[in-house]
Amino acid sequence: MDKGQNTGGLMSSAGLVRYFDAEDQRAIRIDPKTVIAVGILLGVLVQVLTFVS
Amino acid sequence: MGWKETVEPVLTRMPAVRRPEGHVPFKRKLAWTAGILVLYFFLTNIALLGLEVGEASDIFGEFRAVLAGEHGSLMQVGIGPIVTASIVLQLLGGANLLGLDTSDPRDQVLYQGLQKLLVIVMTALTALPMVFAGDFLPAQSALTLGGLTFTGNEIQWLLFTQIFIGGILILYMDEVVSKWGIGSGIGLFIVAGVSQGLVSGVLAWGDQGLIYSWIQIITGETVLGSFASGEALYTLFIADGGGQLLALMTTVLIFAVVVYAESVRVEIPLSHARVKGARGRFPVKLIYASVLPMILVRALQMNVQFIGQIVNSQWANMPGWLGVYSEAGQPVSGFFYYTAPIYAPGDWMWWTAGVTQEPWMVMVRIAVDLTFMVIGGAIFAIFWVETTNMGPEATARQIHNSGMQIPGFRQNVGVVEKVMERYIPQVTVIGGALVGILAVGANMLGTIGAVGGTGLLLAVSITYKLYEEIAEEQMMEMHPMMRQMFGKE
Repeated sequence: MDKGQNTGGLMSSAGLVRYFDAEDQRAIRIDPKTVIAVGILLGVLVQVLTFVS
Repeated sequence: MGWKETVEPVLTRMPAVRRPEGHVPFKRKLAWTAGILVLYFFLTNIALLGLEVGEASDIFGEFRAVLAGEHGSLMQVGIGPIVTASIVLQLLGGANLLGLDTSDPRDQVLYQGLQKLLVIVMTALTALPMVFAGDFLPAQSALTLGGLTFTGNEIQWLLFTQIFIGGILILYMDEVVSKWGIGSGIGLFIVAGVSQGLVSGVLAWGDQGLIYSWIQIITGETVLGSFASGEALYTLFIADGGGQLLALMTTVLIFAVVVYAESVRVEIPLSHARVKGARGRFPVKLIYASVLPMILVRALQMNVQFIGQIVNSQWANMPGWLGVYSEAGQPVSGFFYYTAPIYAPGDWMWWTAGVTQEPWMVMVRIAVDLTFMVIGGAIFAIFWVETTNMGPEATARQIHNSGMQIPGFRQNVGVVEKVMERYIPQVTVIGGALVGILAVGANMLGTIGAVGGTGLLLAVSITYKLYEEIAEEQMMEMHPMMRQMFGKE
């Protein structure tokens, strides 16, 4: 078992962006579903507008 | 009052994706990851509204494989801004200019906020010159939406808005995968792009496709020439639209080398201080800092070329020593030529027709590229180890806190650190330099689907990491006790 490696729960694996467990109470929280929904909406909106133009 | 107190109200309020409460089952994690991947592919296929179709060349050029995204789509910037922001943070953090202690929760919040703010700023800074400088994203002359008509500048702003939102979306998609899925979004997007390149390099129905060119050779459409003069060998191994044997061999070799190098390690024996017989090993891997620092080195080179492209498009009589550009927008001489990395065999094989430069110029370019990648690879690997808590001090503390010790040594953080200091820095530098040589070598020999050495190295090692992580996840699913051992709730 690679013990010493992942302990502490600090590291998100192999990411350029690091996320820690600590979070501020004042931070604005986004639901992951919102991210996906915004992505789909943006894609569909741009595509529809392209058809319209 | 330091800078921390001043910016705290802004940085702590940066919107973040909610963390899952409690354990997320493996299947759910897989679903989130797959969902983001599908969304990513969907968005790479949505062309920008108001973009003039055709002509424009990709500003990222050969770096596209590393930076993910798709030219002319909503994913135009790819992970470019994230990488640039990461370079800034690595340099600041590595030189310890930030004064943030990442083991302190308050500083962690600040670090996350600063990271996010930097990415957003970099997205704007990357998108602005793309739209407004040069002809990288030419806008349509007029655009009618319903009753509204947009012209010139307005369409450019429309393009900018789309790219900017797309860039921010990439950041949050990465966050969703990091918090709810497996691995990281960035890794996922790179692997997706490179795999796509590899698959189309094999299957594409055209000169660049491996299967197609072999059908051409077998049916005699492609003339091999005589084996005696070496012409046939040239066609089989190197020539564009030929057998691509060299590229195939390089691709397979890189796969083998990376998977092998992942298993090369120095193992430091550990034993538990109280539980007799409980033993473990701490592996210091040859590619200790993984291949990710390579992205940063490549991105630095890319930024130099990026500046070159913009200068070239804005400054009509640029001095020759700075850069001379061909009609196709490629640097052919001067500073920007020598600092351009080698992308493909056609860039340096001076005995072929494709290279117009003198052999010594090509040599200088190879030397610059190699030096940059080897030294840069080593330096960024060191910074990477420091900023991601993989350094001697941090690992010694982790080992000590888990109740382990090195047999034959006193149970003391300082002692463990001394032993770690004998291995980690050396292994990091050797690993970083090795990866640099591999990346340049693979680029010089070419790869299937022209994904490039760095792209391939990244894809293989990310996939390997992903495999390890999935194995770990499944073990945790089967033995809930394991979660405690890995320190996850």
